[in-house]
Amino acid sequence: MRASAATWQRLLPFLSLAALFIFLSIASPNFLTPTNLSSVVRQTATINIMALGMTLVIVSGGIDLSVGAILAFAGTIGTMAIANGLPIPIGILVGLLCGLGWGFLNGLFITALKIPPFIVTLGTLGIVRGVTLIISGGLPVVGLPREFESVADGSLAGIPSVLFVLAVCAVLTHVVLHSTKLGRYTYAIGSNKEAAVYAGISVGKYTVAVYAICGMLAGLAGMIEASRLLTGQPTAGQGYELQVIAAVVIGGGSLTGGEGSVIGTLIGAFIMGLLSNGSDLLGVNPYLQQALIGAIIILAVAVDEARKRRFRQ
Amino acid sequence: MLLQLQAIEKHFGGTTALSSGDVEVNSGEIHALVGENGAGKSTLMKIVAGMLRRDGGEMRWKGQVADFSRPAEAHQAGISMVHQESLLAPHLTVAENIFLGREAAKGPLLDQRRMEAETRRLINEHGFPIDAVSLVQELSPAQKQLVEICRALNSASSLLIFDEPTSSLSEAEAAAVFRIARNLRARGMGIIYITHRLAELRPIADRITILRDGRTVHSASFGDLTTEQIIHHMVGREVSAIYQRQPPPLTSKSSTERPAERLRVKLPGIEFALHAGEIVGIAGLMGAGRTELCQNIFGITPAAQGSITIDGHPIAINSPQDAVRAGIALITEDRQQTGLTLSMPVRANITLAHLDGVTRNGFVSHTKEQAVAERFRTRLSIRAASVEQPVGRLSGGNQQKVVIAKWLFRDAKILLFDEPTRGIDVAAKAEVFALMDELARSGAAILMVSSELPELLQVADRILVMRDGAIVTELPRTTTQQEIMQHAAVAS
Repeated sequence: MRASAATWQRLLPFLSLAALFIFLSIASPNFLTPTNLSSVVRQTATINIMALGMTLVIVSGGIDLSVGAILAFAGTIGTMAIANGLPIPIGILVGLLCGLGWGFLNGLFITALKIPPFIVTLGTLGIVRGVTLIISGGLPVVGLPREFESVADGSLAGIPSVLFVLAVCAVLTHVVLHSTKLGRYTYAIGSNKEAAVYAGISVGKYTVAVYAICGMLAGLAGMIEASRLLTGQPTAGQGYELQVIAAVVIGGGSLTGGEGSVIGTLIGAFIMGLLSNGSDLLGVNPYLQQALIGAIIILAVAVDEARKRRFRQ
Repeated sequence: MLLQLQAIEKHFGGTTALSSGDVEVNSGEIHALVGENGAGKSTLMKIVAGMLRRDGGEMRWKGQVADFSRPAEAHQAGISMVHQESLLAPHLTVAENIFLGREAAKGPLLDQRRMEAETRRLINEHGFPIDAVSLVQELSPAQKQLVEICRALNSASSLLIFDEPTSSLSEAEAAAVFRIARNLRARGMGIIYITHRLAELRPIADRITILRDGRTVHSASFGDLTTEQIIHHMVGREVSAIYQRQPPPLTSKSSTERPAERLRVKLPGIEFALHAGEIVGIAGLMGAGRTELCQNIFGITPAAQGSITIDGHPIAINSPQDAVRAGIALITEDRQQTGLTLSMPVRANITLAHLDGVTRNGFVSHTKEQAVAERFRTRLSIRAASVEQPVGRLSGGNQQKVVIAKWLFRDAKILLFDEPTRGIDVAAKAEVFALMDELARSGAAILMVSSELPELLQVADRILVMRDGAIVTELPRTTTQQEIMQHAAVAS
């Protein structure tokens, strides 16, 4: 049976990723090596994990610009806890809770003060970054135990351990989105908030939960980033929010809400990761790289919009 | 002859808003245009004002065949319209709104001072309580209406159309509007005046045209018709016999036993009770407060005063969640905006208000959900390719059935239907009525708001008539459309 044009267009992100992968395998002898591939995974893991949380937020019709700042805050406070003698798992938990707390506050400001998410998280982006710099005095947290490095750099059976962390997070997020009330309501709120209110759904409560989860995943990403650098960098994660949003959008997320999926987001994040890695390997001018990623974002969304228009007719 | 409309037609998609609109207006005349909600009055006037293009018929303006493709063309010809719904820019001032699109300029710069002075002159001339430099968003609905009138006055030279100008005005303000209309008539302008309030027309209108179901049914000198005759022309058709509900006897087997009171509502100007097994109709004109009443009960806009009692217990309803928990459902007037999530499948829309019903250990069970959706699809004969089809793809009638299925699954005992047949075809209407009847027979209490009087008479056991936010009377199911209209439209 012939697949319809709509099906092809729906598969386009995945096909693009596959095409990019094959192209790079042929074009560069250094691409398809365990060292390079695991470095791609390690580099994209933080963006990928944050993008999972951002998927929830974007499906709910919101946006979170503060994830990069939360990553730095969680990484700094979490590593401070470890540097001060707390066990590594406890330190990681501290980082997660830091992220959860800021995400919760984001949600609270949005729902209780009725301020648009863009404004709230633009504000908390500044607040969180500022507070991080104040607490750390602008200096990186050093003197971390060597074992902490294994969180990001460790391997299991030759596979980077962060890939397992990412896989677990992705599966959990997917299950939340598709098989829980929270997920169903997230789609409903993003598709038609008014109808959700009229159905008797506590829109405020679920909105807060969505931002809290997004914050927590940014906190986790912060601990992974800190482990990769073996320092807590108060300036880490600058501009990450845009990469994260780009990953969700390339993967089919709609900024007007109601659309987006974990699989799409993962593909989006890996496309961006491969583009950057491939450009490095092929010696593409890094400035051109930035422009390229920008163009890809517009192209991906244009194709997606065309698909949706056809669907609506 | 100033304006001559002949057999004007207008279709929106598959629905016909106008099939034959005929109106003739002379200079120096106030011409009343009346008809029930949806009779096509506003559509016809929007065509005259260049806001809509006609699909058929002929329009002559000052003897010439005319076809305005934009409001600006109608303005140039000397035609202006005061709109029912506010078409003002809320963030601009009164003066800026009045001159919008016709700004006074000094070279490349706006002549702010002149526009404000002109506005003040206009406001003072009519004694309106507004300030030329206040922002429109700070004004009350009545003040906004006055700004609309000023704007139209500022550009109208030959014909001014008022679309329900007094529905939000106080008596003093309404009197000012009548004075304006008379002044303009004295200057030789033509005035078309659309309203539901027949009583207020008598002192000012010269002639009248009556529309019904998109056609002009009568046109005469106003003095030649009595109010009863006008209402008869407006309502016209006999109650169609497509569906007639036979209400179950309200008293059960033993005649002493009254059916249980499900809901009692006491709000300022409003008090009524809904009993199990009963369908109570609410009639009233647009703006009479019918939708607001539903939203009060459902907790969308909780009423500041008053009380709601369910099964004899007073209950605080401050949000839709409270209402849903108390077993109340609201089937809204605008199902696409507030009743459904169009991009989501039929299945997810049916379970949205009661996800707990398909949840196992905290996870939504897709098999259970599918089974529930299939059950309702069969029971309500929802015509969809599958339960996975997005609701937005269904016809109006089937969309409405999905909304009803949602509340059936939630097991709501008190159902508020706001305009349940809006935008659905005749066959689907009969199905919706049959469902409402079935629900009532199984013990639900139903409130039905409708602008379609024949439908109220077909379905409701008794009818409450609302006017100006209050219930003015209760009529039995044996009442007539004329009687309802008299209470709804004519101030006592």
